[in-house]
Amino acid sequence: MDVDAIVIGGGHAGIEAALALSRLQFSTLMITQSLDAIGRLSCNPAIGGLSKGNMVREIDALGGEMGNLIDETMIQFRILNRRRGPAVQAPRAQADKFSYNRLAKETLEHQKGLSLFQDTVVDLILDSSGTRVIGVVTERGRRFHAKVVVLTTGTFMDGKIFIGEYVASSGRLGEPAALGLGTALRRMGLTLGRMKTGTPARVKRSSLDFDKMEIQPGDSLMQPFSFSREKIERPSLSCWITFTNEKTHQIIQDNIHRSPLYGGQIVGLGPRYCPSLEDKVVRFPDRDRHQIFVEPEGIGTEEMYLNGISSSLPEDVQEDFIHSIEGLEEAEIMRTGYAVEYDYIDPTQLYPTLECKQFKGLYVAGQTNGTSGYEEAAGQGLIAAINAGQSLLGKAPLILSRSEAYIGVLIDDLVTKGTNEPYRMFTSRAEYRLNLRHDSADQRLTRKSYEIGLQSSEALERLEYKLKGIEEIKELLRVKKHEGKSWIQHLKRPEMTIDQIVDSVPELNSFDPVYVNQVELDIKYEGYIKRQEQQVKRFERMEFMKIPLDFDYDEIEGLSNESKEKFKSVRPMSVGQASRISGVRNSDIAVLMVILGRKKRG
Amino acid sequence: MKYAYYDTDDPIVALATPWGESALAVIRVSGTASVDMAAPCFSRPDRLLKGDSHTIHYMNFIDPADNMPIDEVTVAIYRAPHGFTGQDSLEIFCHGSLVSIKKILETLKSVGFRDARPGEFTLRAFTQGKLDLTQAEAVQEIVSAKSRQAHSLALHRLSGGLFSHIDMIKRDLLLILSRIELQLDYAEDEVVLDEEIDEISLHKAIRALGELAATYRTGKIFSQGVKIALAGPTNAGKSSLFNLFLKEDRSIVSDIHGTTRDYIESWISIKGIPVRLYDTAGFRASVDVIEEEGIRRSIQLLEDSDLVIYMIGTEDISSLMEEHPEYIYIWNKSDIREGNAPEGSLPLCSLTGEGFSDIEKEIISRLEITNIDNSGEHEIMIDSLRQKELLDRGVISLDSAVEAIESGMPLDVVAPDIQDCIDALGEITGEITSADILDTIFSGFCVGK
Repeated sequence: MDVDAIVIGGGHAGIEAALALSRLQFSTLMITQSLDAIGRLSCNPAIGGLSKGNMVREIDALGGEMGNLIDETMIQFRILNRRRGPAVQAPRAQADKFSYNRLAKETLEHQKGLSLFQDTVVDLILDSSGTRVIGVVTERGRRFHAKVVVLTTGTFMDGKIFIGEYVASSGRLGEPAALGLGTALRRMGLTLGRMKTGTPARVKRSSLDFDKMEIQPGDSLMQPFSFSREKIERPSLSCWITFTNEKTHQIIQDNIHRSPLYGGQIVGLGPRYCPSLEDKVVRFPDRDRHQIFVEPEGIGTEEMYLNGISSSLPEDVQEDFIHSIEGLEEAEIMRTGYAVEYDYIDPTQLYPTLECKQFKGLYVAGQTNGTSGYEEAAGQGLIAAINAGQSLLGKAPLILSRSEAYIGVLIDDLVTKGTNEPYRMFTSRAEYRLNLRHDSADQRLTRKSYEIGLQSSEALERLEYKLKGIEEIKELLRVKKHEGKSWIQHLKRPEMTIDQIVDSVPELNSFDPVYVNQVELDIKYEGYIKRQEQQVKRFERMEFMKIPLDFDYDEIEGLSNESKEKFKSVRPMSVGQASRISGVRNSDIAVLMVILGRKKRG
Repeated sequence: MKYAYYDTDDPIVALATPWGESALAVIRVSGTASVDMAAPCFSRPDRLLKGDSHTIHYMNFIDPADNMPIDEVTVAIYRAPHGFTGQDSLEIFCHGSLVSIKKILETLKSVGFRDARPGEFTLRAFTQGKLDLTQAEAVQEIVSAKSRQAHSLALHRLSGGLFSHIDMIKRDLLLILSRIELQLDYAEDEVVLDEEIDEISLHKAIRALGELAATYRTGKIFSQGVKIALAGPTNAGKSSLFNLFLKEDRSIVSDIHGTTRDYIESWISIKGIPVRLYDTAGFRASVDVIEEEGIRRSIQLLEDSDLVIYMIGTEDISSLMEEHPEYIYIWNKSDIREGNAPEGSLPLCSLTGEGFSDIEKEIISRLEITNIDNSGEHEIMIDSLRQKELLDRGVISLDSAVEAIESGMPLDVVAPDIQDCIDALGEITGEITSADILDTIFSGFCVGK
């Protein structure tokens, strides 16, 4: 079977990649180990969160599917950080993981031009030059040819599960690992490493004592992630909060020698930002308690997720420490917590398009690149697919800048600096986050995707309608006066909110509250946003100095050898990117600029 | 921001001739639209706006704020791709007085030019391909040397004391920022610690940076010297004091004689500070036209001096003291004069030298020189305008952060200002990246989710 594109894997990166490629009119084949596992939420049954919620909305603005999937399946919604400022507010939703997973598969099945096939890819086919990937070989010996291949293997590539002394070859508990591909990639000369992540136990709802926990209800109003949807009306489920205690920590201390992490069986580095409970206890001995969110896994299931206490300790220890926690004394464990270790590809081997430098036509996205999180994976899957499509058409790639999207920050960090632990997005990773608000994702990105041919004309019309509405609201507040000052001036006072103005300016009621809210933020923080824009301009100058991909660093006399090697390895696409490579000297950047300036003049 | 260094087209200005008194000085500006930008500073802006490349024009350099002339200049226009940098640029030939050079530089900066960094004109010339291929190798060497020098302002040229002083302030700020970022990185219900922002430390940092920026004057004094004028009526003992200074100082650089009628000047050193000392013509009502002109110049000189030492004669000086409290007043004892020094003046016996060391002490104290230890060595001090500007930027950013906190702005709005200050300090001491912040956060705190 010959197609334009093959996507390996049906996780969150694979879903976006397969949908985007087929929506861009390329015949696409997704090969996954299990059709039933497409879009599975392997860990937390939730989408979004700080900076991650922004990424979901960026994916939606770019024509991706994640926003829609969570909008259809959310069972609780919250805007996080309401009490805080505009740049760090973000939407987060609990998902009914069964519906999510089913809808993801259904969406793929209904997509025109996309075929699904259950098998395991074990090797890649190269052309005669050995520099271009032209297809894949599966476990059962099937060969599929394609012009581009997107690799999204998640935690499955040579995945290994650890629960105390128990070790098994699996990508997820109960699901076999994908064996062979990692070896094949190493044989081809790619640099692979091992990473580790983990997940907590799931417990039975009816065995928990919620009276001993603090309830955490959702917002009264569910708000859509997708810009294409106006509202969501669905009953909301609650989560609960409880805490570990000294007894819990004692149990872990007493059994730490039985942890595969501390016993040395796991070689992969785990996430600092989402550590297992044993990590927290060992690294923060002064803390007498750690917070646990008890979250429903979905509708019509008793399974509850214990967010915050992932563990790979033996099952009897897990049971002991869970039972030491308030409200969980009688908890019935349905699935045990575990750690998983897997192969990842050093992402500095990729261009910012996510295409492999060494092998044309091979794109890599998601957890395979050393990231952690559904949203990080989905964002990469989408960008890899868009760029695979652009290259098939011979068009310019889509590279998002650090100043225009969290996805831009993510990919730039990965391909420029690499990562040696699972990379999770944080607001602090973005330098210009006042510009990266979740409510402005459509303004930042929709037009770009429309121009590429992925985003619909309806989306563009919606954006233009929104921009018009925002202008009208601003005009209204500019013209209408109160005590001799325009409402814009009043709104700039910190204690003033737009809700207080609505009574005096009832015309505001005729606008979408989302627009009104955005105008409020724009006005309130105008000075800061303007300053940020100046910083962005300064930043962009170096981003716009492009370096040709075939640039010969050896030809340059003035460069230090150390920087030369780094430039040759990373192959930065702009001087800006070059300046972010760790350990590169300022003087070498100057030399680079000089040479590029000369080249440009011919 | 480390990016700033490599901007290659924003408008820059620098003195192209050595910093010192001379017949003529050349000030150079370059950058996109720099000719248009500088035009309002000239009495005939049209000549600049419309002038062709490679033309020279004679006119006044003026202060656009009040249209007052600053100096008579000739100005050469170069338009891209001509001239040394290959960009739109001007070469302004002005009189070589430090006063007018300084005023012209300040005026140009007030309309949007910034100080060029070391080698920046040359860097632009290379970037614009203005140097031929045979020069390429030499060019690269120079470029890397120049920028390395800029970088090592942080590491080598600075005294260790300054580096660690700035680094300490930076660490404090980094800690504050890490705490803010930690709170911002986790939802409000996830991180139990919801701390107040450490405003006291911010104020402390603002003060420390301000004090450091203020040492620029001291640093500059050491590197560029100060101007001290001796004034007072004839026969009050100016020449005796002048000679006393010369005698005390064993490191006289040179003697320069102006028009005898105007003043005598000499380079001396007081406690290690290079001083250009002027003995002015006496103040005396005179009908002699030449002498009158000399007095007029003397008055001008007094205005331009960093410090004036006034030798009291027989006149009543109470009104002068009121008008010029910044002068140092000296009452010279002599055979022909009895009595005590008037209040507010220092006594001196120019014959024996008695009281001279008090005068020296007073000079040092009036120059507001900070941080001089007994050996005369200066330590935590800055001496480059670049450093001062970065420190000023840091102070402005922190002021803005404090203002935002006090007006109840949320932390995510406050953070970029603190980051900007850290970036400015980072430009002085080296580099920091946002990865550093994450490291600080996660080595010091436990996070819940």
